[in-house]
Amino acid sequence: MSGSAATIGRDLGRILQALAGLMFVSVVVSLAWGEFYAVPALIVSGLIPFGIGRLLSVRFGDAADPGKLHGMVIAASGWLCVGVFGSLPFLLVAWTVELSLAPALLRTPSQTATLAAFTDPLNALFESMSGFTGTGLTMTDDESVLPHTLQWWRTFSEWIGGVGVIVLTTAILARPGSGSLTLYESEARSEKIHPSIVSTVQTIWWIFILFTFIAILLLWIAGMPIWGAINHGMTGLATGGFSITDNSIATYDSVAIDFVLLPIMLLGSIAFPVHYLILQGDLRNLYRDLQTRWVFIYMSLGSALLWAFVYFGGTYETPFAAFRYGTFQFVSAATCTGFQTAVDATNVALGRWPAHAQLTVTAGMIVGGAAGSTVGGIKLIRALTLFKGIRFRVADVFYPDTAVRRLTINGRRLSEEETRREFEEAAIIAFLWFLFLVAGVFVLLLVLPSGEYTLQNVVFEVASAQGNVGLSAGITGPESLPALGKVMFLFNMWIGRLEIIPVLVMLRLVFRRGGVYT
Amino acid sequence: MNLTDIPVVKQVFESGADDRVYDSLVLAGPILIAVILLVGRSLITLGLALSYVALFVFYLAYKGIIDADGDV
Repeated sequence: MSGSAATIGRDLGRILQALAGLMFVSVVVSLAWGEFYAVPALIVSGLIPFGIGRLLSVRFGDAADPGKLHGMVIAASGWLCVGVFGSLPFLLVAWTVELSLAPALLRTPSQTATLAAFTDPLNALFESMSGFTGTGLTMTDDESVLPHTLQWWRTFSEWIGGVGVIVLTTAILARPGSGSLTLYESEARSEKIHPSIVSTVQTIWWIFILFTFIAILLLWIAGMPIWGAINHGMTGLATGGFSITDNSIATYDSVAIDFVLLPIMLLGSIAFPVHYLILQGDLRNLYRDLQTRWVFIYMSLGSALLWAFVYFGGTYETPFAAFRYGTFQFVSAATCTGFQTAVDATNVALGRWPAHAQLTVTAGMIVGGAAGSTVGGIKLIRALTLFKGIRFRVADVFYPDTAVRRLTINGRRLSEEETRREFEEAAIIAFLWFLFLVAGVFVLLLVLPSGEYTLQNVVFEVASAQGNVGLSAGITGPESLPALGKVMFLFNMWIGRLEIIPVLVMLRLVFRRGGVYT
Repeated sequence: MNLTDIPVVKQVFESGADDRVYDSLVLAGPILIAVILLVGRSLITLGLALSYVALFVFYLAYKGIIDADGDV
């Protein structure tokens, strides 16, 4: 066994053990709701990753600290493994009910069509990956009939995934040193709150937990039942978007709940280091920090534009209805949350909005919020770097060759070398993002029944999967999305969460080792 | 026995913003939610929840004002 494999194996083992711990903790929910049939399924689901994880971490316990390559491979393979093993609760609970195991002893209920969908491993994997990546696209027809245990597991997976499984593992293990920093950076994070990486991840969790309580209580005060408030507070803050109701937030049809969710989703789209400074009283970061300032500018502009499209386009009859649904859907999309209030049951479904309104929502999903937060998408800082970089290059023509010019981003005056590096990084991610978006659209157009969905529906759905958003134009579902489409979305969600590069690095390593190319 | 000797309390105190008000909110949050789960919606639980959120908001604003004054 090579040193690299040992390092990767050891850290994968630790991630799997952390995942197992989450499953064991979730047994409390099954017991509290009297869903005893779910207890064996959860315990077995936890024992499998725990056993494998323990084996790997003990076997390779003395492996070297991860370098940059290891970090990327651990992040990519770790998230894949978490998705795969995280599907076990869905699969095993669904089969426990399907086979009606010990109905008298375990109080096993009768099967529902919604739960039966998870007897298919691909659907269970899709749900798990959608949860951990914070996407929110679902294989359920009606979330409200799911066992509370699985409602919780979906919520919990998004809540953990919002901050990151590596951040979780680092916080639990409290392993100081450069290895933890490498892993932290591989999980699409870069800024630190404290000099120590362990202190940084612990503070991130502290902030996240405090905000979770605030979110839950705000939703409950606004009139949401407490179980709904717990689940939606957690998934809203994590910008995940899984719901426990059939029609997402539209089920409540409450203006108060809609507007309370706006700041919760916005909190999730602001970087944790900025939250930390604000909590310490430095409120000027709300406008001083480039990304945070642009979160508000961008959300306001996008919401106003969407309001104009759906009001003047006749989708909604009153300015207030257009404001309520337009603002909610843009913020939900741009923060990559994916909660939906625009559904046919109460108003006009997103999939039936005018094409330009759908594309406005799609643009929001592609850009996303601040880097270092819980959101997906390309991220505001990259969009701003690209915009400023292009403007800088174009303006360059108007200056003499001898002029010394510096690009300024977020108060930092960049040297020529730094400008080139930052612009290149933003351009590569943006290019790859669009490349895989096109690939996803192509696959979907290939597998979906022709004439059933419009092109804007398809682009919307793929952008939603890759941006880890979860809004749906009606394509995603256990029956409506063909198997190949589900596999493509699994890939889109995976690369979207890790900002593509780590997955490509891992695939390159696998293909090279597998002899596909040298 | 000191309060910081309790494992969860120690962890919360060491992880956060070094501020006892926020730390208290983190520690009180799960207790309050558990009370709401058990008792349901009543004037008392609603009052407690409102107080919790209000304390957070006003304390944040207070810290903001103190910080701004300190810079003047």
